[in-house]
Amino acid sequence: MGKLDGRVACITGGTRSIGRGMAEAFLREGAQVVVNGRDEEKGQRALNEMGAGEDAAFFAGDASSQDTVEGLVDFAIEHFGQLDICCLNSGGVQMTAPVFQMSDEEWALEIDWNLNHVFWGMRRALQHMVPRETGRILVTSSVEGKLGKPGIPGYAATKHAVNGLVKAAAHEVGTLGITVNSILPGLIETDIVRATGPDSAVAMGLDNYDALLDVFAQEAAIKRLNTVEEVAAVAVHLASDAARNMTGCMFPVDGGTMPY
Amino acid sequence: MGALDGKVACVTGGTRGIGRAAAEAFLREGAQVVVNGRSEDKGAQALAEMGAGDDAHFIAADVKSSDGCEAVVNGTVERYGKIDILFANAGGASNHAPIVDLTDEAMQDSLEWNFWHTFWTMRASLKYMIPQGSGRIIAMSSVEGKVGKPAISIYVAAKHAINGLVKSCAQEVGSLGITVNAVCPGAIETDIMMAEGPLAAEAMGITYEQLLEQFASESAIKRLNAVEDVAEVCVLLASEAGGGISGSLISIDGGTAPY
Repeated sequence: MGKLDGRVACITGGTRSIGRGMAEAFLREGAQVVVNGRDEEKGQRALNEMGAGEDAAFFAGDASSQDTVEGLVDFAIEHFGQLDICCLNSGGVQMTAPVFQMSDEEWALEIDWNLNHVFWGMRRALQHMVPRETGRILVTSSVEGKLGKPGIPGYAATKHAVNGLVKAAAHEVGTLGITVNSILPGLIETDIVRATGPDSAVAMGLDNYDALLDVFAQEAAIKRLNTVEEVAAVAVHLASDAARNMTGCMFPVDGGTMPY
Repeated sequence: MGALDGKVACVTGGTRGIGRAAAEAFLREGAQVVVNGRSEDKGAQALAEMGAGDDAHFIAADVKSSDGCEAVVNGTVERYGKIDILFANAGGASNHAPIVDLTDEAMQDSLEWNFWHTFWTMRASLKYMIPQGSGRIIAMSSVEGKVGKPAISIYVAAKHAINGLVKSCAQEVGSLGITVNAVCPGAIETDIMMAEGPLAAEAMGITYEQLLEQFASESAIKRLNAVEDVAEVCVLLASEAGGGISGSLISIDGGTAPY
């Protein structure tokens, strides 16, 4: 018997990295899962690799778009009949830059991708969950939701913002059987980090990408990066019945990096 | 296959309340478990109720002393050959009074029960965990380790101190395969709460029912927590999957603590 038997989950940015790890862990625990990503081809590949047959589905679209996020929630409900777990996981940075060089376009993208996407998805999911008086909202925040590194001001600002959103929403729906939590991972070497890490290293005044990884590892008590599986295990817990009384929590998976 | 197969756990204050729930959860996940308490009778009763046979063992000791704490940790290793998981769970609020009326003895007692016990069991466990290059230490903190309430300042201070100890210890042993975390539950109506709650309420100038209502209303879920809520987080922290979580103060409080 799985911890999530009979549950339906949707995950933004679910074809790879943290979202994919969550999807696979949810499937292992008995849930049906809709994963989202921009690329139809990568989506189909993810479905094939996960090998979950009809228990997994893909919804194509850019998570920085309101239509995509709301469409994903609607699709999950239509396809599997309900939505129990909404993971608002997608996010990142396209162009790293310090504040004085930050373009309006990059700033707007990060607000849409990291913050508005969470609001749009949470609102749509709650419209379904509140009448049912059950549900789990999981937001992938970051250690940068409590800290602030140079060169990624938009990321730090939006990850702080989603933590505030999570806390407020948790209080709004706390008596309705719905929990709202965020997970704050330390750095994980995902595809996005590999793609944007070299530029981030430059923006942060570091020699190279390896130096960037080392900065994050050395800040942690465990002196290493975190893993996708560590975040997925926390996501399963927060999505399960065992966590029915945990809400408004910012769950760290950072090896001891954050001060609080 | 359990998440804690082959692991050995030690739970102080493990015959009832949160400690007992954690012990049962650890057993369910395949660990062998030592539970500690002061009373031999209650220990025997707990073992009988848990029904885990040779996989559970009781050690009677008062953890308000260094000797008692070392006896529990060393006894765990003597019984099962090692210690993988320490849940320093014993503790509670006592001697409730505003600071102006507090005695030195009350502060000393609270520190021994909550803070010193955590330090003594942590230090004793690390002597085994460091050479074996692995371990999980979980300290029982509280929502009061992050906020403060009147008339329970000695409890609040001790729990804040535990959180600091956890963060430092995590940094010291983080690269040695050992994680150190605190769990910070909201109010749970355990035996200790039922015994001490009315006294705490009286010191606050309210009734016990009003105290429980105050705790519930501060949370987002508007109810108290349950021992199982904490036990399941302890399993997660103790498991392999919890290896990337350290130095964390995990709130299990229905949305009460501000951070």
